[in-house]
Amino acid sequence: MASVFHPGPPSGTPKYSFAQQPNTASEGARQHSFYPYTDNGGSTLGIAGADFTIIAGDTRSTSGYSINTRYCPKVFRIGGPESRIALSVVGFAADGDALKERLDTILKMYKYQHGKTMSVAACAQRLSHILYGKRFFPYYVHAILGGLDEEGKGAVYSYDPVGSYEREQCRAGGAAASLIMPFLDNQVNYKNQCIPGRGTGHELRQRVQEPLPRKDVEQLVEDAFSSAVERHIEVGDGLQMIIITSKGIEEIYKPLKKD
Amino acid sequence: MDCHPEVWGRPRYEIYGDYDHSHLHTSGPMQHTQQPIVTGTSVIAVKFKDGVVIAADNLASYGSLARFTDVKRLRKFNSQSVIGFGGDVSDMQYLDRTLGSLDTNENYSNSDQPLHARNLHTYLSKVMYARRSKFDPLWNAILVAGLDGEDMPFLASVDLLGTKFSSPTLATGFGAHLAVPILRRTVPDEEAVQQTTKDQAVELVKESMKVLFYRDARSLDNYSIAVITKESGVELKENEKLENQSWAFADQIRGYGTQVN
Amino acid sequence: MFISRSEYDRGINTFSPEGRLFQVEYSLEAIKLGSTAIGVATGEGVILGVEKRVTSTLLETSSVEKIVEIDRHIGCAMSGLQADARSMVEHARVESQNHAFHYAEPLRVESCTQAICDLALRFGEGADGEESIMSRPFGVALLIAGFDEDGPSLYHAEPSGTFYRYDAKAIGSGSEGAQAELQNEFHKSLTLSEAEILTLKTLKQVMEEKLDSKNVQLASVTKDKGFRIYTDDEMAEVVGRLPTN
Repeated sequence: MASVFHPGPPSGTPKYSFAQQPNTASEGARQHSFYPYTDNGGSTLGIAGADFTIIAGDTRSTSGYSINTRYCPKVFRIGGPESRIALSVVGFAADGDALKERLDTILKMYKYQHGKTMSVAACAQRLSHILYGKRFFPYYVHAILGGLDEEGKGAVYSYDPVGSYEREQCRAGGAAASLIMPFLDNQVNYKNQCIPGRGTGHELRQRVQEPLPRKDVEQLVEDAFSSAVERHIEVGDGLQMIIITSKGIEEIYKPLKKD
Repeated sequence: MDCHPEVWGRPRYEIYGDYDHSHLHTSGPMQHTQQPIVTGTSVIAVKFKDGVVIAADNLASYGSLARFTDVKRLRKFNSQSVIGFGGDVSDMQYLDRTLGSLDTNENYSNSDQPLHARNLHTYLSKVMYARRSKFDPLWNAILVAGLDGEDMPFLASVDLLGTKFSSPTLATGFGAHLAVPILRRTVPDEEAVQQTTKDQAVELVKESMKVLFYRDARSLDNYSIAVITKESGVELKENEKLENQSWAFADQIRGYGTQVN
Repeated sequence: MFISRSEYDRGINTFSPEGRLFQVEYSLEAIKLGSTAIGVATGEGVILGVEKRVTSTLLETSSVEKIVEIDRHIGCAMSGLQADARSMVEHARVESQNHAFHYAEPLRVESCTQAICDLALRFGEGADGEESIMSRPFGVALLIAGFDEDGPSLYHAEPSGTFYRYDAKAIGSGSEGAQAELQNEFHKSLTLSEAEILTLKTLKQVMEEKLDSKNVQLASVTKDKGFRIYTDDEMAEVVGRLPTN
């Protein structure tokens, strides 16, 4: 009978914190019951090539099991038309947008102040400081920054929400990061791939990593996402890719499964 | 969007464990909104080829009590856009005042272009995000409907966390679960928007309002509906009644009607 | 309540009817009293040179510091009120470190000069809500030499907050004669060691004292070594190379 008086949504569905009333008030300082974050799902991916960088992300936005919209980009060109830098943000979309707009203005101001476009390395360091500056109320996002370095080589920098960062060959972020990253390790950095015919045991040699051609990388990105869509409910609808080369920035949109 | 406004932005039980009720026994002054008090339920909207249709019922609930039955939750802004509010009604009224003075200031300024729906949505999203960042949110889920700078149909949403997104069909609260699937059946994408007429869109929204009234316990059969087009501007009707209700489905369902077991 | 014509130099932010800011102009005069400083930019790097006025035989000449480091790739020479230069240099050093911290790259020489000049006009009552930090304009001019991704460059920053880039520039009491000399002698294909000689030769002409390795100071900014103040031995070597006439 007690269940008749039980407030909240029916059991089986996600329970909310107000579902159970404690009998006594808990001790200690009162906490805010407002939680300023949410997870908007989605996944992102960045791969650096010899003379290009691809930053990609799906375009689905979710709240729990609901799809907010099928087109909400999370990869952005930043720093105005001359800039050759792309930023992807995944996690809490409102923080992602705020972060993107902050970095975008900083890049534009930098151009006015120093008379040159910012390099990716400089932008990477700056982004780290922006994130770290909100260390105690973080931007709840996994950011990936892409561009071309001073030598024209592809550069991908990935971040945690409080600003730790690293330059990498490739990185997946967001909801399906754990699904995509092992695939990338194997296909981009040739992890667990050995040179055939070298024998077994100590004779085995790791296949050497070399930069992949652009066509192959684009195909890898598509495969990574179409696979992630199959196994993760928060990923799908559309794939947005930003490709940075010395000639400029291209943007490609491809549909993904909408289920 | 979840159908219970009081859980928006709350830590989910299965992730964060028991809710801390200590705030109910505090002696200090309550400074920030911790929960919505008087709430409005769903707002639904759909784009069609010449504009946008948006609707919300006229009920403001006090918990489970249907407290006010003639609350207008669609607000017109400068004869080009309509904003639909879900969630806390006092925060809606605050925002309405803020937007009122924004409109006044805009009219005094000598810019010849009035703020369009896209401007308005950006402005609202900044206000909402700033307030959530101060841990003092405006407890609303908002739809902005109108025309953008190119006179194209514009529809977008923003909530108490500052999350913003746009889609051919949108709904807040319970509507996100019940109305969106119905709306998406007709208008799945931007392409379909071009195939949809005003009459079709209005009919679709009315049908969805009916389904919401059937299933949402915090809803009313009295609602407001607005159509925004380039030709006619904002056509806002604030006292519509649901038509052709059929409760025939109810007696098929155990526990819905009078039968008890 | 009329302000008499000569009183326009009281309020430091008050324009005279002719459109002049007298206090700023007076500050330019202060520089003309200062010791001469010279900068010469070449393709290899920039040379800065200053005269140290040795007013007493008891003065420890090494304590006269008129060329200072801002960052590893930027240095500056000053003429005018040295104490004022301290706060400008301090500001430039902080800006330079801040830039390196935030952007993982050295600050550009022009940006550094701009940062210094931003400080120059923060005198007077201060705008609404903005705290003003100085009661008068700076009484010092700087020659800012540096080496960045665009190669070597030399800037001249004035108390008025304006700055220009120069191939060669002289400031201070002997600046007029020195600038004319530089104008004649400077050419684009100057080497660094030729620039050392040109700098000292020019200084020698405008100095009241007889030039020796103790009463002048040289510094260079190059790609490889960055900013460097010449040691006593190096000074002696360069002075030894000066043509005697």
